[in-house]
Amino acid sequence: MKVSYKWLKELTGLDWSPDEMGDRLTLSGASCEYIESTARYMDNVVVGQVIELGAIEGADKIQKAVVDDGTGRVDVVCGAPNVAAQQKIAFARIGARLVGDFLIKKVKIRGIESFGMICSERELGMSDDHSGIIVLDDDAPVGTLLVEHLDYDDFMLTFELTPNRPDSMSAIGIARDLAALASVKLRRPQIDLTEVATPASDSVKVSIDDPEACPRYAARIIKNVKIAPSPWWVRRRLLACGVRPVSNVVDITNLVMLECGHPLHAFDLDRFGSDEVVVRRAHDREKFSTLDGQEHILDEQVLLITNGKSGVAAGGVMGGLNSEVENDTTNLLLEAAYFNPSVIRKSRRKLETVSESSSRFEKGADPNGIKYAINRAAQLMHELCGGEVQAGIVDCYPKRIEPRTIELRPARCNAVLGSNYSTERMKQILTDLELQVSGDDPLEVTAPTFRPDLEREIDLIEEVVRIEGFDSIKDSVTNIGPLFSRTLPEDQFAREARWVLTACGFDEMLDHGLGSSRVAKLFNPDLPQVRILNPVSEELDIMRNSLVPSALAAVSHNLAHRVLDLRLFELGKVYFAGSDDTDWREPERLALAVSGNTPQGWRETARPLDFHDLTGALQRLVEHFRWPDFDFVPDKVWFLDDRISFRIESEERAVGWAGLIAPDQARALGVKQPVLVAEIDLDGLIDTRKDRIQFEPLAVYPAAPRDLAVLVDVAVPAGEIIECVRQAAGKLAESVEVFDLYTGKQIEKGRKSIALSINYRSQSGSLSTEQVEEIQRRVVSKLEQQFNAEIRDK
Amino acid sequence: MSPLEEVARLRHEALERISTADSLASLKEFRVQYLGRKGRLTAILKGLKDLPVEQRKQVGAEANKCRVQLEHDFDAAERKFSEKSEAPLIDPTLPGTAQRVGAMHLTTQVIEEMCGIFYGMGFEIARGPDIETDYYNFSALNFPPDHPARDMQDTFFVEGDRLLRTHTTPVQIRELEKQKPPIKIITPGKCFRNEAISSRAHVAFHQVDGFLIDEGVTMADLKGCLVAFCKAFFGEGLKLKFRPSYFPFTEPSAEVDIQCFLCGGDGCTVCKRTGWLEILGCGMIDPAVLEMTGHDPEKYTGYAFGIGVERPAMLKYRIDDIRLFFNNDLRFLRQFV
Ligand SMILES: [Zn+2]
Repeated sequence: MKVSYKWLKELTGLDWSPDEMGDRLTLSGASCEYIESTARYMDNVVVGQVIELGAIEGADKIQKAVVDDGTGRVDVVCGAPNVAAQQKIAFARIGARLVGDFLIKKVKIRGIESFGMICSERELGMSDDHSGIIVLDDDAPVGTLLVEHLDYDDFMLTFELTPNRPDSMSAIGIARDLAALASVKLRRPQIDLTEVATPASDSVKVSIDDPEACPRYAARIIKNVKIAPSPWWVRRRLLACGVRPVSNVVDITNLVMLECGHPLHAFDLDRFGSDEVVVRRAHDREKFSTLDGQEHILDEQVLLITNGKSGVAAGGVMGGLNSEVENDTTNLLLEAAYFNPSVIRKSRRKLETVSESSSRFEKGADPNGIKYAINRAAQLMHELCGGEVQAGIVDCYPKRIEPRTIELRPARCNAVLGSNYSTERMKQILTDLELQVSGDDPLEVTAPTFRPDLEREIDLIEEVVRIEGFDSIKDSVTNIGPLFSRTLPEDQFAREARWVLTACGFDEMLDHGLGSSRVAKLFNPDLPQVRILNPVSEELDIMRNSLVPSALAAVSHNLAHRVLDLRLFELGKVYFAGSDDTDWREPERLALAVSGNTPQGWRETARPLDFHDLTGALQRLVEHFRWPDFDFVPDKVWFLDDRISFRIESEERAVGWAGLIAPDQARALGVKQPVLVAEIDLDGLIDTRKDRIQFEPLAVYPAAPRDLAVLVDVAVPAGEIIECVRQAAGKLAESVEVFDLYTGKQIEKGRKSIALSINYRSQSGSLSTEQVEEIQRRVVSKLEQQFNAEIRDK
Repeated sequence: MSPLEEVARLRHEALERISTADSLASLKEFRVQYLGRKGRLTAILKGLKDLPVEQRKQVGAEANKCRVQLEHDFDAAERKFSEKSEAPLIDPTLPGTAQRVGAMHLTTQVIEEMCGIFYGMGFEIARGPDIETDYYNFSALNFPPDHPARDMQDTFFVEGDRLLRTHTTPVQIRELEKQKPPIKIITPGKCFRNEAISSRAHVAFHQVDGFLIDEGVTMADLKGCLVAFCKAFFGEGLKLKFRPSYFPFTEPSAEVDIQCFLCGGDGCTVCKRTGWLEILGCGMIDPAVLEMTGHDPEKYTGYAFGIGVERPAMLKYRIDDIRLFFNNDLRFLRQFV
């Protein structure tokens, strides 16, 4: 909302600078976002007079004007349709800087030198009107600065208001806070209304069908108005509040709304269609055209102002096309009503429109501010449009809305705030805000109906601190609360998992969690999806059900930017809908993705990242968290390539999958190099690290290391060979590691050589060479039996 | 000149030559001159036998001392030259060969930093679901049904009468339902807003919310807590500004601006020339929220606050595009390794 600085000065009598006003208001709840000078584009702009006009050869849209700017005559090229000789105009001299940082210089147009510009309102930043140049009064003194002639040195204060404060959506509302901040009295305009004898009730009747939706409807009849442009002071005030002047009647309804916050509507009485106002709900499928030319098909959500037969306005939202005030209008029905905020909210949603009027009613107007608003407007219509105001207000107010009385305990106020305000100060603040205060403990506070937000004691406490300022509360310097803070197991888990994986050279990804139903279907056609009902785009229309598509998207993004060697992980949620309130699930998962090569260094040779780089990282986690070993069981996983596609099991429970992304899925995300992924469901794994490390006594007796190279069929898994060694050697095999794997020329086709390094050790004594030989023989014979293994060399 | 004086002078001369020698060759030459078989010191030592016994002892001791010193100094000086001229054993400017360590996501790092600060003040972490019900996200937080306050947050609605939480404050309600005061909790997590994705806005963002409920908690405690947090997170010596604001679940409510740490409050493009940066919202927990969750608002009071994660991070590291927090671009992520 925008308000004129001069207006606020007038209403408060304060001589604060615009900045001071803005800052103080910001610190008391009406956040002042911008302060702009209304005359910021008027330097070097003066009153000029068009002395003569001449055609320019070969140009029919522009003319040459000779302008007197008070210092002499200059030639100016002008293209405005409304320029005429003898006019007084707004003239920008060379050096003026207009809207859009447009600097006026000497220019040559069609061979004519032009020494300035005749301006429209838009060029001077007054409004967005660019239909023609500004034409000033005939008696405007040539050469005077325009800002002085128009008395236009004002400031426009733009406020960002919170939805709980409808009372501040007006000049008086803002001024009320200012007055409280400075402890001065608000200077409301005095109303001195002249009425004719004829009672308005002879001209119109008002009835309300739905008093819940419309608790009050008031009307006045004003006859014989003359529609014309408003006088300059009205237009100037509207412009300084960012509102475009239209004509006197419309301008007055706008001005009064800006002044006191209450929206008004003027109907053309002769087009109204009857002499009665009936407020009712719209019928289902009832048609109605608003004055912006839109035709709407209504339902009973919309509250309709009717003439007893058909609609003339969507109550509180927008007037109707049929009864709009036009240039030939002479008689008016002026409406000031109060509508239920939630009715207006539903109504404007149905109409898919927001107006100045609806946004005020929706937040809560003042049902008892109607009299001021309608009388103030009637007075101005009499003064400025020559209207005859008929006697009295036709006021239908079936159920009076009374102000609320609230108790405030001064001690409670200080107890909540940690402040030390005196009761007197609290009383004064509340009184300055135009609340009625009596009593001492508690204070009995009556909140006028323009403050619908004040309902409870805490609301009054907020009023006190908002005016006194948060700076008046001393920051506490001691800590309060429990002595001990626990750490969630899942947080500790995530922290440690990140340490392990970053130490393994994996970079952490993080996704927003939204995904595409199309992509998700391509990856996991059978997996349910959680749909977003109002997505921002088709690509983000579900909550993801797997981390794999987002991991692949991250790979794709990086490949597109020529970052080709990737080791990535993400710890994140996937989402599954439930059938009732309790069974929606958001399991935590871990995804790993590798693609490209290991780093190439001056000493290390790069090699392609592969499946074992995934399992390597997983094994580090298994080790760190003391999980049971993972088993990789060949399995058909939809989005994985058949050749490298595994189910991951932990103690025979499936916990995830790992493998090579299949070509279709890779192509769908624009990935052209092999990507290997693993996804693990962490449910059940986070809890498994309860017993932390238990110390094992250091070995007392020496170890006997032996190497063993065996030839076996290529299909024999290394894991089974190791298992076989362990079985044969029993507890004596402390560790069994693969240290070489070879297939090639020196080996028979279909066979491979696996070299094992076995560490034998006994806990009960030193092993003799003979004992070790004996165990080793047992191991060898078991390997020969089980795998048809040959021992390569001794 | 006495033989003793001669030794002293010779030592002086030789040391001078050692310190000024400019090559290994000249050093070697000097060594021969003094200590060689026909060298000058050797000559003195050889001549000892011709001296009277008294003098022989004295001069012999001095000359030997001189010989030991000169040999030592020649050795040291020669070592220095030979080190310079021979090929070095290692080139320390070659990159070290340790494993490359991965980068934690910047968002993770900022959340950890924020939570660490609050953890130090005795806050405990609690978490809740991303997909919420209207009750936890709005109603229980005192958003009236069909009220303009709901327009302050553009909400994603999900099938099954759910929505994507627009803040992590619902966790406050879930904890209030479970626990008895004192409760001192922070709730880091992901939130969602139905906004078009641009450099300034994204469909998701992270938040660290916190609250404390106990007997006698005041706005002064809230201010103290946030002042301490800002000191720890943004640096000491920056002023804070508490502006009244509106959140349905707190009253009084405030927004907190911090003096722009980039320009020190003088005004720059980041703070839009205001000298202030908007960083968080806070307030005293509305009595209605306590009441709805079965806590007596006369007995207990509490405060709550909500801090964005991406925005302060953008300010701190001068990141100009929020999309970088979600597109997993390694050129971005690796900057925060
Ligand atoms: Zn700044």
